Amino acid sequence: MTKNKLKIMNLNIKANKNNTFDAIVVGSGMSGGFAAKELTERGLKVLMIERGHEIKHIEGYDTAMKEPWDFEHRGKTTNISAEERWANSRFWGLGSEEVVNHLTNDKENPYIEIRAFDWIRAYHTGGKSMHWGRQSYRWGKHDFEANAKEGIGIDWPIRYEDLEPWYTHVEKFVGVSGQKEGLEVLPDGHFLPAMPLFAPEAHFKNKMFEKFNRPVTVGRVANLTQAQDIHTKLGRGSCQYRNKCNRGCPYGAYYSSLSGSIPAAMRTNRLSILHDSIVSEIIYDEQKKRATGVRIINQNTMQTEDFFAKIIFLNAGSINTAALMLNSKSNRFQNGFGNDSDQVGRNLMDHQLGSGASATVDGFEDDYVYGQRPNAMYIPRFRNWGNDKQTAYLRGFGYQGGAVRDGWERGVAADGFGDDFKQSLTKPGPWSIRIGGFGEILPDPNNRIFLDPVKKDKWGIPMIVTDAAFVENDWAMRKDIVASAVEMLETAGFKNVTPYDRPTHMGLGIHDMGTARMGRDPKTSVLNAFNQVHDCKNVFVTDGAAMTSASCVNPSITYMALTARAADFAVKALKKKEL
Amino acid sequence: MNRREVIRNVALMLGGTFSAPTIMAMDKWETFTSPNNNDSSFSLTETQQKILAEIAEMIIPKTDTPGAKDVGVPAFIVMMLNDCYREPEHQSFLDGLASMEKVKFLSLKADERTGVLKLLEQETKKITSKVTPFWRLMKELTLLGYFTSEAGLKASFEYVQIPGKLELIKLKPNQKSFAY
Repeated sequence: MTKNKLKIMNLNIKANKNNTFDAIVVGSGMSGGFAAKELTERGLKVLMIERGHEIKHIEGYDTAMKEPWDFEHRGKTTNISAEERWANSRFWGLGSEEVVNHLTNDKENPYIEIRAFDWIRAYHTGGKSMHWGRQSYRWGKHDFEANAKEGIGIDWPIRYEDLEPWYTHVEKFVGVSGQKEGLEVLPDGHFLPAMPLFAPEAHFKNKMFEKFNRPVTVGRVANLTQAQDIHTKLGRGSCQYRNKCNRGCPYGAYYSSLSGSIPAAMRTNRLSILHDSIVSEIIYDEQKKRATGVRIINQNTMQTEDFFAKIIFLNAGSINTAALMLNSKSNRFQNGFGNDSDQVGRNLMDHQLGSGASATVDGFEDDYVYGQRPNAMYIPRFRNWGNDKQTAYLRGFGYQGGAVRDGWERGVAADGFGDDFKQSLTKPGPWSIRIGGFGEILPDPNNRIFLDPVKKDKWGIPMIVTDAAFVENDWAMRKDIVASAVEMLETAGFKNVTPYDRPTHMGLGIHDMGTARMGRDPKTSVLNAFNQVHDCKNVFVTDGAAMTSASCVNPSITYMALTARAADFAVKALKKKEL
Repeated sequence: MNRREVIRNVALMLGGTFSAPTIMAMDKWETFTSPNNNDSSFSLTETQQKILAEIAEMIIPKTDTPGAKDVGVPAFIVMMLNDCYREPEHQSFLDGLASMEKVKFLSLKADERTGVLKLLEQETKKITSKVTPFWRLMKELTLLGYFTSEAGLKASFEYVQIPGKLELIKLKPNQKSFAY
């Protein structure tokens, strides 16, 4: 096992006479980690503030090397976990004892739902980057242009070309395995060797091309199929195909802030990390007309303390970033920090998840797989693309899914018991296949979070209220996600095609975004083209909150690319004394 | 087909080995309600525990590899029902055990027991309630408890802790599944 020798140290506040840094990064998740890396590598002294407890890379992954029988409840969610993690356990498997202790205790961190929102949280070092699905797709040109073309929301202030070099920068560092396909709808990136499609998936791919001219590819996934120098120098190794990424990888084979950006930032000796510290507000100096720092509340001791920096990156996750801005009131910003447009907290988006179809597969009885692929196959968007024009809805969706040989679990629903039954379940079962849609949700100012005017959490911070739901466009798309999945599986010749459409809320895609959107006009947007708050240029927001639209592809590498681009801009501006 | 007829058919299939009192008892199956109706804590009598263990062992019997009892499945099922299931499933499970008590399951011969479980399996398919029925709970928890136990898993599958590679392969005759 490759041991990462880098240690994340807790900053000793009492020993630190000066609470002043070049930059403060609020949050240690996907985008916060990347901000810290980019800023420290450019010479800045950075304080990263994480609201949750510390998890150390490798040694903090307490379930990673456990055997199946080491889990008392064998992966099932206990009633206690379901009550404590009432929001997290709405997502498949997050209540399981493999992972549950790394997800936020919702009972202790409640939020208020006017319209239900499945808010999945992981308050600890690395945040949700420890738990993500690792699917990594570049946006296409069309994604940045769609709002303007269709008159939806507001236009993005940037285009694909602005982000393209930063996608490459991120992909090289993160390590993304994938197959180049030359598709306009899904631009190729800088890829490590692709993982294989399984035999029924390869059959499906051929049929889809033959019958619909629809491409199918293997998932582009942030697992190192072949670790490069840039990865091994940080102590990261190649994937061992255990597919137990959800527990944290002791090989550092999948990318997270813990395995990648934080060790890279620590290597510069310019990063300090403060844990257990909830940023309650941004400190705004009315004379200087700039943010000078942040106030934190220690989640355990309740003590408050102020920290100061020239620039501040907000990467708390889109909902918490918006909540922090709304809670930061001053004479200048009486409606919340940077909120002259009244758009902070609004346009909350996610991706549709939880609908599609499954089928059984005849044949391929001799085909089997050694190892577990931490990945799936991917069907890029084909709706409202090329010659396809849908009348019922705008935008489109992609599918993720794949084929598996059924295991012993098939015995639960099957007839039988006794000797032969027992014996039969020790052999691989027939293949089955499933595809599920990831659909684009449109920005809607009425889908929002805000702060409760009265109720406070145990730290005295106003409670967050969610008020968001799918609208007509989303429901029409969802119907097509199911119908098209059925059509494609049937066309491929699979049997017992069964649609599924799980009752769900917004949030289940765990891609919450849009609550402090980028735009050209300060009247209708919160951030400019470099993620600076329009009315307070030394504050940058580069997490999901910055998103002006959602695309239908998984967002993490776009967050990281935006972050790297903004960090580069910020440091150049600092050096030119423009910030 | 009403329950009495189903039971008669099973009895015929087994050569008429069901006694009249057994059939009468099974007939009450449908209307039987457990006295534990409003009790959220879940515990079993000694008889109920024995029935549970016998049924688990019939689902996964000891052969040249361990059986359900060998790897502690009966205790696992009770623990799981307590920790991971709620009152409706508890009730469903207790109702199922009560009906097994009514047919004096423990006094039945091996082929009669098999007949009862086969009947139970078919009858379960007709249940439309959202609450997981007794037979389904028995099966899912027996299989889970057995195939994820150390002895059950290692005896049943080729256990691979760290594959180290991903490879498309051809299945050899009689090859066991990989478990990870």
